[in-house]
Amino acid sequence: MKPLTRYWFGDVALARPYLLVRFVLTTLAFDCWLNLMAHGAKYGVGGFNVAHFPFFGDFIPGAPFYLGVLAFTSVLALSQALYRPHRIALALVAMGYTLGWTCSLLDSVPYHYLISLYLGCFVFFPMLSARAAFSRSERAPRGSAWAYVLFCVTTAIVYFYVAAWDAAAGEPYWLPMLCSGAYLVASMQDRSDSNVVPIMMPFLGVAPIAFHWLTPTENWFPIYMIGIAVLVFAPTRSIHAAGRTLTFPARSWLQDQSEAGIDERASQVFYASLFGLVTAPVVSVFVDLPGVKTGCALTAIAMLFVIGRQLYLTPKRRPLWRVASLFAGCLALFVTVTTSNARFDYYRAAAVDAGLRGDQDAAALMREKADQYRR
Amino acid sequence: MRSVETEPPPPHPSPKHRRRSGLFIGAFILLQFLVPLTYLTREDAADDRFTWRTFSRPGEPMCETSASLETFDGRREELALQKLIHQDWVDYVGRNRRVVVEAFLKKQCEAEGVLEVELTNHCEDDSRIREYRLRCGGERAHETTRTAAR
Repeated sequence: MKPLTRYWFGDVALARPYLLVRFVLTTLAFDCWLNLMAHGAKYGVGGFNVAHFPFFGDFIPGAPFYLGVLAFTSVLALSQALYRPHRIALALVAMGYTLGWTCSLLDSVPYHYLISLYLGCFVFFPMLSARAAFSRSERAPRGSAWAYVLFCVTTAIVYFYVAAWDAAAGEPYWLPMLCSGAYLVASMQDRSDSNVVPIMMPFLGVAPIAFHWLTPTENWFPIYMIGIAVLVFAPTRSIHAAGRTLTFPARSWLQDQSEAGIDERASQVFYASLFGLVTAPVVSVFVDLPGVKTGCALTAIAMLFVIGRQLYLTPKRRPLWRVASLFAGCLALFVTVTTSNARFDYYRAAAVDAGLRGDQDAAALMREKADQYRR
Repeated sequence: MRSVETEPPPPHPSPKHRRRSGLFIGAFILLQFLVPLTYLTREDAADDRFTWRTFSRPGEPMCETSASLETFDGRREELALQKLIHQDWVDYVGRNRRVVVEAFLKKQCEAEGVLEVELTNHCEDDSRIREYRLRCGGERAHETTRTAAR
């Protein structure tokens, strides 16, 4: 195998892509609920908008649209993190998330672009079950995952440009440059014929952690990047052991039932799945934010699209687990939004803005809602 | 038909699959290298999106903004920006983000009887006054910069 082919298509410990997808999707869901939703009140104010790209034309996203897209993306993302991800669902998460920030310059947080790139990589990750990524023995399963290598190279390019701009400004650039180099070689550490790289990796992994520790930002970017660095640079044995512990229930109980064999179309599972898909979005009715109900309903439709064929073609309980993961996503949205300041921040911002524009009736209504959700 | 949900372990890619993936990888990486470089050709220096120059939200605006419009009957009206658009857009205008300034001026031209819209930024950082003037129906705002009198 040529060196370049080996670099992209050589083996990696499957625990890394498995955990990476779940970590980023889970963090993304909570980032949407706790940080982004509160900014939804800005959208559509005064009928004015400028999108990131001109193809949006005169489209003006309002608060219900923005919050709906966020609810759709986040619930679908968490449901994919909780149960075996599906390529179509991951593509929908990537599209939804990208639509969320591209539709307006109001969302100009630089790392949202990076998350979109990551989600694009995830679509091509191997869709692994816990049993494929973690073995019962100490030996970590390995396999080819070029999209994981692409994920690492994408991160390396980001740090390269951070270093380049720093250098152009005459500032120290060795730390981001070290991060860039570290991510370029990170995917080689799991290959059995390499002795030096695995020893160096944990030390190289300190660079991105130190970089984000020393340059904190007001958003969740450091949380994403430090988490990613831990998963990419941790020694193979450690990541495998940690993953094995985390996925113990999935490997020992959940999958024993789901892999029991291909059944004929089980009408109970079919109807239970449909019932679950209809009832899961109902949880969002109690969230009391515009657009969230629609977002969750669309997530259920997306999930139906994802599991549609599985109702007929795959081991009998898998559709039920997918519906359960959707339920868990909707429930997590409800619990997170109702127990945090997200709704209060949203309605307070809406009240302040309506007051500024002289719409006192709307301001009073929003203030009332904000007071209702004050914690 | 093969399910899109692959079963473990992932098979080692065939030469055909490697070729197709290789093309995607090449395009994806090329795009990531080129996009930040477009900053060097951008007219608007305040627009540093997708460049990795910063990981934070845009900073506080350095300019104080005022706007006015002139109607066909020769009247000049001052515009209260905060009443028209969200504060975040006002901040964008205050940072001289050209695309937002242009969109704001065009939006004001949509009202009936408007001949010309003018927006002025008094900037603290370089003690300059930037004026953007759009003759309604025109494509692009005319920008002039002058040093503020001390």
